[in-house]
Amino acid sequence: MLDRLFTGLGISSIVLMAVALLVLLAPIVVRGVGAFVFRGTVEHRKVLAKEFGRGKPEQLSLDVKRAVEARRPVYNMISRFENDLETRGFAAKRKYAAALDELKDVLASLLGPEPNTPQPPLLREQYGHTRWDRAQVELDELLLRSEYDFSDPTVMGRQVKVPRAKDFEGTELVELFPYVEQHLSEMLLPRWTFYWGFLLDDSRDAHFFGGIWPELLGTFYLTLGAILCALPLGVISAIYIVEYARADSRVVRLIRTCISTLAGVPSIVFGLFGLAFFINALSVSQSKSVLAGALTLALLILPLVIRSAEEALRAVPKAYKEAAYSLGAGKWRTICAVSLPAAMPGILTGVVISMGRAAGETAPIIFTAAVSVGGALTLWDTFAEPTPALPWNIYNLCTEHQAADEIRHVQYGMVLTLVALVLVLNSLAIALRARMSQRLRS
Amino acid sequence: MLVASTSAVAILFIFVFIVKDALPFFQLRGVREFFASASWYPSAGPPSFGALAILVGSGLVTLGSIAVAGPFGIAAAVCLSDILPFRVRQWVKPMIELLAAIPSVAFGFFALVVVAPLLQSHGGTILMAAWWMISGPVGVVLVIVLGSVASSMLPERFGRLGLIAACAAIAILIVPFIVRAGYWLGRIEVHSGTNALNVSIILGLMALPTVVSVSEDALQSVGRELREGAYALGATRFETLTRVVIPAARSGIAAALILGVMRAIGETMVVWMASGNAAQIPKPWYNLLDPVRTLTATIAGDMGEADHVTGSARYHVLFAMALVLLAISFLFNLISEHVLSRGSSRSTS
Repeated sequence: MLDRLFTGLGISSIVLMAVALLVLLAPIVVRGVGAFVFRGTVEHRKVLAKEFGRGKPEQLSLDVKRAVEARRPVYNMISRFENDLETRGFAAKRKYAAALDELKDVLASLLGPEPNTPQPPLLREQYGHTRWDRAQVELDELLLRSEYDFSDPTVMGRQVKVPRAKDFEGTELVELFPYVEQHLSEMLLPRWTFYWGFLLDDSRDAHFFGGIWPELLGTFYLTLGAILCALPLGVISAIYIVEYARADSRVVRLIRTCISTLAGVPSIVFGLFGLAFFINALSVSQSKSVLAGALTLALLILPLVIRSAEEALRAVPKAYKEAAYSLGAGKWRTICAVSLPAAMPGILTGVVISMGRAAGETAPIIFTAAVSVGGALTLWDTFAEPTPALPWNIYNLCTEHQAADEIRHVQYGMVLTLVALVLVLNSLAIALRARMSQRLRS
Repeated sequence: MLVASTSAVAILFIFVFIVKDALPFFQLRGVREFFASASWYPSAGPPSFGALAILVGSGLVTLGSIAVAGPFGIAAAVCLSDILPFRVRQWVKPMIELLAAIPSVAFGFFALVVVAPLLQSHGGTILMAAWWMISGPVGVVLVIVLGSVASSMLPERFGRLGLIAACAAIAILIVPFIVRAGYWLGRIEVHSGTNALNVSIILGLMALPTVVSVSEDALQSVGRELREGAYALGATRFETLTRVVIPAARSGIAAALILGVMRAIGETMVVWMASGNAAQIPKPWYNLLDPVRTLTATIAGDMGEADHVTGSARYHVLFAMALVLLAISFLFNLISEHVLSRGSSRSTS
């Protein structure tokens, strides 16, 4: 019976791991997809048309007209109220001034600036909410105001929600709130949209609008640069270890220790080394640049590449090499013509896994290549300019952004993109390995 | 051969450059303050660079993560290597590799955006639920084990009734304690969702694949002969595992734990985002619900301000921390290699 309990314990730990993986990936996938597929309002279509030149202009102008029609009563009510206040004198104005200002602010962030008023300077203030779910949150903000209730002496102030209509009790403006609540969908005209531009558009105004193309491109440059630097070095090192050095010689043991030490170095130390060596000492670039970041990442993935290349080369059957020797080929010829091609699938698997690793690493690029705000780089720029990158910008958007709550969908979308990228690369490697082992067995 | 030595050259250069930039700090401020003082105020005037709180923070989250990854990892490895059928293994191994491949910033995002608010609003409930999930099965196992031990000491004629009575007696002793502990946990108020507990759990999750794969390799390399010998002598699976296989693989399992520690101590993004970044030693030191700060988060976070004053103590202290990290990882690497080689030499001799 103890036996079965022990089995149960082991199985429960595996189940727990599977549950943890699911709990980790589920919110990321579900809310990340929400960055691509959501109910977009007319404001979203306006942004797409004006900033990125997409969409159907006739349909858009029809929509805009309908929205303006639906919003007009709201603005009329407010201007009537303001005129009324003017006639009533200073006391009345003072009583409602603060509440009215707040109301107008919330309305402006919900619907955008009033028509026929000057354009606000910030792009995010020039449009209302582009997503229906965020608009609903703003609607709550419009209808309810949060206040602190200090009446209970045992608790330090409880947050309560007070209907904003109470501020305007007894005036005409009270009708504004039920009107907005009922007619918001006509004012914003939400429609299910598939925003594929999330991956291909530049971001506008600190990721309030637009997509994540510069970050995607930056990650792409860094990963490609890293593997371009690490692959030749790694494969040649592996060839030396497998073919040329005597097994178990001191040199080989030393190299192995170095490789495993390099693999164990924390990633932030790689970042500091990249800063101190590539940028400060060698000056491969004036300050941060993609080149320095790629070199640092290459160092990080070098042990992985060497290990997988070594494994692949060792797995080449001796018969192949001996056949080549017996035909009169020299050592180097054998390696180039026989061993390397035979080991190519294994090396490729290692390359793909290393690319996945390099794409997801943040700490090495913090000091060497990553900036928070920037445009997509051209190939020539990469030698001297830093770039936004997916992992770094995920961190930045979550912690150092002014309105992190507003752009949650962008954060989730970025994380989904990064995780999907890495998982696709790794699944590719697993599939490659499975096919290879099948071929070897048959 | 020259090219092959790039890795050796690289590690040498890393050591040289980190030491080169870390030494000025120790020349400027000496060694004692860094390791013994817990007041970390690098931007005050005059600044103080006492990193004890940060070192304790690193140690605390590493301990927490091994407490999570160790038991689960070894149990999962044992399960994978000996208990699960082959077809299930084909599915579980890729799942573990997937868990290992997820980037650390995604874990950090999850810790900050999902776990931290949950801990803050429902912390007590979550702790109580976790306690029940763990103490439930463990409690059942304990009751049955102790009950069977106790009943084996009774005279033979009580038989099955004696077993049940012994189990019931042990249960009456243990269950109230478990229930009371659960309720006490349920009433805890978590003040800040970004704390050492959050980070420990996520770091444990990240170190889990490493521990599982290396332990499983070690358990596999024990070989069929030992297992078959034990079964031939009439041992049950539990006895074979606990008395033959695991002791034979213990050096590999120790190496797995060390590698897990190395992974946890060197992790930057998760701790930077979700540990609270308060450079203070929690009161009492084992209070995981307080925010802490680790070496890696300090390096990553402070470099932004320190870079403007290159050449000052503030810049060099970060290299000193990097040196500490490098030394720790190098030391653990040597220990794990030593443990592995000793284990393999013992098994071949």
